[in-house]
Amino acid sequence: MTGNLPPRPSGPACRAERAHTVVAEPRLGAGPEAVAVDTAARRAYVACSRDDAVVAVDLDRCVPVWRAGVGREPIPVVLDLPSRRLFTADARSDTVTVLDADTAVRVAQIPVGKDAYPAGLGHDPARRRIFCGNTAAGTITAIDADRLEVIGTIPAELGAGSIAVDGERGRGYCANFMSASLTVFDTETLRPLGRIAVGEGPCKTVVNPVTDQLYVAGSLHSTVLRLSLATGRPLDEVRVERAPVGMCVAPDGSRLYVCNRGAGTVSVVDAVGGTETHRVTVGNGPGDCQIDAASGRLLVSNAGSGTLTVVDRPWLPGAERPPVHAAVGKRVPEFALVDARTGEVRTTREWAEKRYLINFFASW
Amino acid sequence: MWETRDARAEALAFADVWNVAGPILLDETGDYAAALGITGVPTNVLVDARGIVRAVGAVTPAELEQAVRELLSE
Repeated sequence: MTGNLPPRPSGPACRAERAHTVVAEPRLGAGPEAVAVDTAARRAYVACSRDDAVVAVDLDRCVPVWRAGVGREPIPVVLDLPSRRLFTADARSDTVTVLDADTAVRVAQIPVGKDAYPAGLGHDPARRRIFCGNTAAGTITAIDADRLEVIGTIPAELGAGSIAVDGERGRGYCANFMSASLTVFDTETLRPLGRIAVGEGPCKTVVNPVTDQLYVAGSLHSTVLRLSLATGRPLDEVRVERAPVGMCVAPDGSRLYVCNRGAGTVSVVDAVGGTETHRVTVGNGPGDCQIDAASGRLLVSNAGSGTLTVVDRPWLPGAERPPVHAAVGKRVPEFALVDARTGEVRTTREWAEKRYLINFFASW
Repeated sequence: MWETRDARAEALAFADVWNVAGPILLDETGDYAAALGITGVPTNVLVDARGIVRAVGAVTPAELEQAVRELLSE
């Protein structure tokens, strides 16, 4: 063989390959809380809680393609691939809404109990079951994914929400936010199997079938608890950033992605070593995330900014925010804001020469 | 409170459920959060008597206690 070898890649394009990059951030609506992915159909589905809608996004073009109304305040969204149906838990209408993922047509709306406040979903595709965590009722509603009927109710605890399923063992784990616990149940018989005490504010739980571990995001203490699925025992805690509320596992099980709602970042955790390797800056108030297995891209639904952040090569480090916030050491900006209780406008001047704390919070 | 829709009703309902005391100010546009560079909730901002931001973040009980202790010790 003769001739010149092709030039080695160099320059900015080459450097970019060694870092993650945000390739798109389409605006979807109000309160995007969760995302589901259909890799083969090249679609993402995002639950927009404040629009009472699900928005479908073309994964290649990163643009919305349809929007469908569901119940009031959908928080999680699950895609059941065998039936090609989407399920949302609608917190303020006490329903689970079922949509056809291809046509956006509403197939069913299933009541889960008055004042139940359903806020989490779990999925056992092999046993054809959807599980709904009812926060105010402290229960789990089991739904037949094909007949779309309630087939049982499992007692849990106050704050029942996110549900992870260990399909291998037929076990479900429901995070009880206000009870600092997990309810363990049998996804076949629907019998409760036990309770695991965890730290305060468990907000999301996911299974890693490759490492045989369960992860629990502790939103109040900025940690992720790792447990052995084989024994149900805690292994260790991984420190992440402020208010972790959403998580997903890479398809090969190598990494855990954690949405830090209080920081506008995603922590990337080495699933084997159990350490945070780097952070990805996303939109405001990230609620949950998923990986598009075809492209390896990370999709993050940002409840605060109303967007979906699409991150290429999220497993690579990249530019991070400085450790000290930019506002520290500077004068606090003046404000003139309405007091929710009195209707009066209150200004910075009122707190002049005082030491005080501003706690930014929101209901979303 | 960084609340852009039905702000007053949402704020009061939230405060009632979670027993939030103290003044609740509505940042309906999110402009004040943006001015401070706040990218999520919850986030605490501690301000000293000279009007200088001393800490941003500090949301776990331990972090908040330490930040408040440092501010009060001056």
